[in-house]
Amino acid sequence: MPIHEKSLIRPENLKTHDELILDGVDVSGHWSTFIETRVVSDYNEAIEEEIAALPGGENIHRCWQCGSCTNSCTVNAINPEFNPRYWIYLIRMGMESELLRDKDIIWQCVSCNKCTYACPRDVFPEGVMKATSHWLERKGHTPKSPSMHFDEVFTEQILKTGKIEESRTIRRFFKRTSQGLMQPWMIEMVKRLLKNLPVGMLTRMGIATFVAPRTSNWSGASSAIQEYIDEQHQKQEELLNLSELIDIAQKDAAA
Amino acid sequence: MTKKDKYKKVAYYPGCALEGTGHAYNRSTKAVGKKLGLDLVEVENWNCCGAMEVKNVDPKIQTYLSSRVMSTAANEMNMDVVMAPCNGCYHNLKKAEYDLKNDTESVDVVDRLSKKAGHKTYESGQVETIHALDWIKETIGEDGLRERVKNSLSGIKIANYYGCMYTRPRHIFPEKDAGPGSESTSKPHFMDDLLEAAGAENVDFPLKTACCGGAHTLSDSDTSTKLVLNILKTAKLAGADVIATECPTCHSGLEMHQIRAEKTLGEVVDIKILYFTQLLGMALGLKAKKVGVHENISNSIGFLKEKGLG
Repeated sequence: MPIHEKSLIRPENLKTHDELILDGVDVSGHWSTFIETRVVSDYNEAIEEEIAALPGGENIHRCWQCGSCTNSCTVNAINPEFNPRYWIYLIRMGMESELLRDKDIIWQCVSCNKCTYACPRDVFPEGVMKATSHWLERKGHTPKSPSMHFDEVFTEQILKTGKIEESRTIRRFFKRTSQGLMQPWMIEMVKRLLKNLPVGMLTRMGIATFVAPRTSNWSGASSAIQEYIDEQHQKQEELLNLSELIDIAQKDAAA
Repeated sequence: MTKKDKYKKVAYYPGCALEGTGHAYNRSTKAVGKKLGLDLVEVENWNCCGAMEVKNVDPKIQTYLSSRVMSTAANEMNMDVVMAPCNGCYHNLKKAEYDLKNDTESVDVVDRLSKKAGHKTYESGQVETIHALDWIKETIGEDGLRERVKNSLSGIKIANYYGCMYTRPRHIFPEKDAGPGSESTSKPHFMDDLLEAAGAENVDFPLKTACCGGAHTLSDSDTSTKLVLNILKTAKLAGADVIATECPTCHSGLEMHQIRAEKTLGEVVDIKILYFTQLLGMALGLKAKKVGVHENISNSIGFLKEKGLG
């Protein structure tokens, strides 16, 4: 399938000769720009199946590359490198090394679901983006993204109390990602917030910081959820053939 | 029973954000309900709907969490309508409803988890989930509001901002795009209708359903700041004094990144951000304090006084 976006032709594949004569015709200058032919031999045919095995990736096989997702994408509008259509193509073709070039931005999908709205084939590209960023992390291609850390901090809190108390989530997230809380804009925001806030409200917020709001009789639900998460995690480990990776890592560590 | 009667007494699901950063939305929703004679019965011992974050960890857990809320409303409280003012909660309950109606695997997982957790399994169709916009639009409507307005919002130019979760993806909102009187997923208008009935002038705002980057508001703040700045600037260019919101995540995102844009990019956009329930409440004669205007970060107290409100 041809790739139409000009930006997808990598600079290193563009060849220009200052002076070039072909069959006696002078084609120097921009006439001599060629796109390097390439031979792809390192297919990883397992990728599509592995991503389809992760939540959100189930419908990737339905894609027929119309590009509606990229066209409607919020993140693509501010970063043209963010291209769901292209990534779905690479995954389905098994072009792993090309996919890995963009490994550090795929997690930046903001889940606005404009793609899901536009997609004529019910691929749920938003889900595919989540599945792909999970795949990259689980396979060890990328460290956990800040977003993944946030999701984990959030989910841990729900398992514990059933509810979210935002100041806790924020503090834990900043701690886990080793960021300082006292950034100038954060200080300014708190200042403006406090300007008009009545004492009663301040007290209420203060209490919530010490005593987390919680759902009562939550332990049953919490352990049922934890059990389900563990079970799914185990299943996914097998589907992604992670045991092999883990073995290699352990052998490397031992050596 | 007509929607008008059915929505008069609803199970109220505020959700986590409305007990924290979105407290002003909680407060103003309750105050407006009281003023309009509508009955809100809070869902007993509710839990988080799962939000975007749990969905990212595993979508079926989010379905379960949302189903537990609906199960409590239906089975413990005998209610048939759940009203959620938060777009995230509203979206998630709708999504759970869709999944439980159409996906047997979700039904199995929810049943298994509900049994282990020790409560009745929610079955699709037991409750109808509505947004605070549906609630006021259907029970009181524009005509009803016009009759009740004490302080018209006239002279206030508003950009109505609905965000992502209220309309997308469309398959979880079967009642939208359903002909006359229904909400539109491409050009939502319920908030516009209500605020116009309260006297406000709605500006032509093309980014009603644009994304504020709420999902990564802290994990990818630079992206969120860019997206929010675009929304603020466009609203300003469209001539708006105020952006009206109907989601706590959008609201706090706009407020937070308005400041972040000032501090990190030096871009100052002076526009007030108010929940639609705050605006409606003041139009109905409630004091600014009663609807929590002083809890907002963007300071609109002076502006509202100038316009004869609060």
